Amino acid sequence: MIQRLLPFFTLIALFIILSIASPNFLTSTNLSSVVRQTAVINIMALGMTAIIISGGIDLSVGSMLALAGLLGTMTMEKQGIALGMMVGLTAGMTCGFANGLMTTSLRINPFIVTLGTMGIFRGLALIISNGLPVHEIPPSFSYLAEGTLLRVPVVLWILLLCAVAMHVLLEHTRLGRYAFSIGSNPEAAYYAGVPVRFHTTAVYAIAGLLTGLAGMIEASRLMTGQPTGGQGYELTAIAAVVIGGGSLRGGEGSVLGTLVGAFIMGLLANGSDLLGTNPYWQQVIIGAVIILAVSFDELRKRRMAK
Amino acid sequence: MLLLLKSIQKHFGGVVALRDGNLEVSAGEVHLLMGENGAGKSTLMKIVAGMLGPDGGEMHWQGRSVHFHDPAEAASHGIAMVHQESMLAPHLSVAENIFLGREPKLPLGWVNRRRMAERAQRIIEEHHFPLQAEWRVDKLSPAGKQMVEICRAIQQGSSLLIFDEPTSSLSETETREVFRIVSALRERGIGVIYITHRLEELRMIGDRVTVLRDGVTVHTAPLADVSTNEIIRHMVGREITTIYTRAALPPGEELLRVEHLTREPVLRDINFSLRAGEIVGMAGLIGAGRTELCRALFGIDGIQRGSMQVAGQRVRIRSPRDAVQRGLALIPEDRQRAGLATALPIRHNFTIASLARVSRFGFLNQNAERRIATDYIGRLRIRAASTRQLAGRLSGGNQQKVAIAKWLVGGARIFLFDEPTRGIDVGAKIEVFEMMDELVRGGAAILMVSSEMSELLQVADRILVMRQGRISGELSGHITQEQIMRYAAFEISSATTEEPRVAERPE
Repeated sequence: MIQRLLPFFTLIALFIILSIASPNFLTSTNLSSVVRQTAVINIMALGMTAIIISGGIDLSVGSMLALAGLLGTMTMEKQGIALGMMVGLTAGMTCGFANGLMTTSLRINPFIVTLGTMGIFRGLALIISNGLPVHEIPPSFSYLAEGTLLRVPVVLWILLLCAVAMHVLLEHTRLGRYAFSIGSNPEAAYYAGVPVRFHTTAVYAIAGLLTGLAGMIEASRLMTGQPTGGQGYELTAIAAVVIGGGSLRGGEGSVLGTLVGAFIMGLLANGSDLLGTNPYWQQVIIGAVIILAVSFDELRKRRMAK
Repeated sequence: MLLLLKSIQKHFGGVVALRDGNLEVSAGEVHLLMGENGAGKSTLMKIVAGMLGPDGGEMHWQGRSVHFHDPAEAASHGIAMVHQESMLAPHLSVAENIFLGREPKLPLGWVNRRRMAERAQRIIEEHHFPLQAEWRVDKLSPAGKQMVEICRAIQQGSSLLIFDEPTSSLSETETREVFRIVSALRERGIGVIYITHRLEELRMIGDRVTVLRDGVTVHTAPLADVSTNEIIRHMVGREITTIYTRAALPPGEELLRVEHLTREPVLRDINFSLRAGEIVGMAGLIGAGRTELCRALFGIDGIQRGSMQVAGQRVRIRSPRDAVQRGLALIPEDRQRAGLATALPIRHNFTIASLARVSRFGFLNQNAERRIATDYIGRLRIRAASTRQLAGRLSGGNQQKVAIAKWLVGGARIFLFDEPTRGIDVGAKIEVFEMMDELVRGGAAILMVSSEMSELLQVADRILVMRQGRISGELSGHITQEQIMRYAAFEISSATTEEPRVAERPE
């Protein structure tokens, strides 16, 4: 039990250490900037949690984020913010749906399918935009990423809302239960009459929707629609899930764990900025944390099995 | 004396697996290890083979106190385990598997393949294994794979071989072959520990028997001195009759009718029906198409021709989902692979086939779910710490109960049991039979596939026999094993009542 909470303790320890080490850490400016920086990854990682629990993986979310953000901002140029948001979210969901449909109906390993769509979504974004970012965005759109509501960043509200919704989805709905059972033993789920294809596809579509939302927040943060944005985000999102106790073998993972995982990485990045660590070292540290987190988790499971 | 275990203890978390495990094995002896599921047999053997460390007690190997840290250390002392499920590299050859990790080397560390093949072939021929050194392991039958594991143990110069239920997935001929090899090993002075559930087997090969119950060694004796009933009594700790009997019920309405069902080449023109209150046995040799029939009925495999009626209504079942909605339930042969999500809590396994009953608008009612789980754990006497326990950590018999309970929760009425008692012990078997009886009393119909004829005779109201994809006969009333065997193995027209001439035409 204590080991299961290890990521959580790590996060708290990291928080305390940084509060002591840097006077600039425990300030509302800095903390809200951490939240803003990690919100995009966090929201994507929530969707990734569901996918990984169901035994899948999605490598295309970085490209999907760029495509959704691009289509959303392009719409926004002429049709306004509301429609732009809707287009962005729908684009994400459609991309996720396509991923799900291909894995379930062509019965191709999701690693391969999303490796393919990672290229396809990126290419489409570049084709549509001609490789050029979108700049003509209504200025009020920046409220999404930079604004505050009741003195708390808007993105934090959005993140909390998404996290609660995803937690309820995974732990308290049929869809969530099916996701766990499909990830844990797909054959047993099929034999029990679980509509495996439908629910697998649904999980990818929901993750796509969240990625679309993350894409819009990213666009608002940068105030551009970048066809080349979001590169490498998929790996950070997967890392957050895995640090938080998700298993790539499926059947394991939780919203709380993923949030903790994403914030651990966020704090590591923020801390090394504040302490003036060589930014190149950041990558080394984060890489080491991923390996450490997973090896502790494996150790715990092996001890439980014995 | 080869091996001596003295009051070995082992617990996993709060669960005690072994309280007082004692065992002694001499060279040139076949020592049977028996006990119900969860009695601690496998745990004890894993400790001997170095796969687990004991929490207490002493282990002596050839007179010296030992403590193994891993299987390699046990192997270096001459202890090898032949696993129920093969632990071989499927894409490598027989020879490569025999020598895996200890290949004959050439200078510079190159593998001397020729020498390896020759030496493997020599081992194979010396023991008359039906193998070839260059065969690929994934092409072998389960029995062939076991033989490769035995070859490996011989090659390593093992003086103690542990067999964990070696015959549970083998045909009769293959079983005889394993027996022959075990006797040959004994003659060479090798000690053999043999875990089995099959009471019929034990007299054919064993010298001594040790019975474990609830983690305690309760009895050790030369096999000649104990009766089978005594062994069973020690295993379950209470008097039970070896023969289970149940009273037939008056058959009710027809729940399932199958006509001309065909899936070439495994199923041909299958016709039968099941009535409420009936347990219909399905006998046949391995490969006769019984499992295939269950799969086709349940919508896993498609059919080319034929029709199905459920409770008088014509239905088309194209997927397990269709089948579940029509009230069918399948308890598959391989429950670890297809019947359970072992990494999930048992509570989730109970309700997975009937989540609609514990949810509203897609949201789960977890109190209702917990109540159902607690209720079934009590009713089926499932030995579990809590409803949150992971299904994979239950013993085989208790896992089977959970796999069955999943369908009880859903209210299925037509049950297809595929080898429901495979790998579970006598006590749990009888509990499974009682569950089946309870089901048909509640108005269900059961099709029970089993390779153990004695079981079918005890449980089934009538018996269908399959042979080469067809139903070759139907038997009811006073049935004998010989009758079943005739239909299962020989060609006869099911209409003949006179003594069929089978002797001249064995297959």
